[in-house]
Amino acid sequence: MQLLDKVRKTEFLGREFLLWLWFKSETGEGIFDLGDKGKAELWLDGKITLQSENERGVETITCTGEALNMKEARFALAGEKEIRQATVKLAIGDNQWSFVLDSTWMNFRSFKTPRVINDGKEDPDGLFYEKAFLIEEAISAMDRIYASFIGDRLSPEWLTETRSAIARWIRQGATGGVTQPLSAEREMD
Amino acid sequence: MGLIHGSASFTRYMAEGTLPQHFMEVLSESIARYAFRELDEKSIDERSAGWVNIMDMFDNRFAGIEFLKEPYVAMSLRIDERKIPPTALKQYCREAEDRIKEEEHLEFLPKSRRADIKEAVRLRLLKRAIPVARVYDMIWNTVTGLVVFGCTSARICDEFMVRFLQTFNLQLQAICPFTLGELFLIKEGASQNLLDGLGPTRFLEGR
Repeated sequence: MQLLDKVRKTEFLGREFLLWLWFKSETGEGIFDLGDKGKAELWLDGKITLQSENERGVETITCTGEALNMKEARFALAGEKEIRQATVKLAIGDNQWSFVLDSTWMNFRSFKTPRVINDGKEDPDGLFYEKAFLIEEAISAMDRIYASFIGDRLSPEWLTETRSAIARWIRQGATGGVTQPLSAEREMD
Repeated sequence: MGLIHGSASFTRYMAEGTLPQHFMEVLSESIARYAFRELDEKSIDERSAGWVNIMDMFDNRFAGIEFLKEPYVAMSLRIDERKIPPTALKQYCREAEDRIKEEEHLEFLPKSRRADIKEAVRLRLLKRAIPVARVYDMIWNTVTGLVVFGCTSARICDEFMVRFLQTFNLQLQAICPFTLGELFLIKEGASQNLLDGLGPTRFLEGR
């Protein structure tokens, strides 16, 4: 299969990943284990773009705001819209990154690293290494979180637990309800 | 704004294959061959593209080994383009056509003649146009194979992949959710085919 065909046939993976991230962060499960790198906290904050395709054509809505539990974006999920782009905040230790993650290619847009110490005037190589490290650290964290999603997506629990929990969260979001995290649901079971 | 200064947008790739023996020895030569060349003021070339120093877009000489910041190879792809504003082209064409009609006592100019005039005017204006320079940073971790390119435009990314192949003789694999999932499965020792059978999840009834 050619790469572009693969991208087209599997682009739902990126959309489901962004949905899974939003669900996790909204239900108190937005902290991810990075192994020897510690833990990363992740949440969606800022602009989010949702889209649907149907017989009427392509419909896109963009919501902007600090609180992404806002009804409009959640209401769009309850319709037939899927996430195409989302502004993600990633925190590891004292460092915080901000970027827009694209669901089709997993490109990073408007990527901002934590403030760097070196201004590059006296030590340009120092600035380069600091920036390269911060870029790779964010990419590596996102790859680990994505791997965690793929593990979840391929597990039998995806269909028996995660899917219904996300569905409940989507429905409750449109009506302003509160969803329990998956771990709490498992304990209740 | 690039990867080193300010905020950036970027696309990720994995360099496929292993680096050839004596790679570092031939690196300077390969990079120099595909380094950026200034557009000659007298030429009518519309475009020039090539590598420049990531810390200084005006340095295309690579006198030392500025591109090598172990374990990274880091450079910028600089693209200069001369463009003529469409309204200026239209205005100069009309003036040229009017002048010819007057000189040759013609009421109308045939389509082919107007096309010739347009091309002559375009070439004349091109020499006067100042090139617009754009720079896209590239950081390649030669140990992990990760390549970060500071652009998300499909056209520029395609050009970058070609330039990378020409310079380093290595193909780049574009990262997308599927290929990223495959890389994860390979690392875990699981079958790559697991992803092939997946379809979109129907979260809500009727979707």
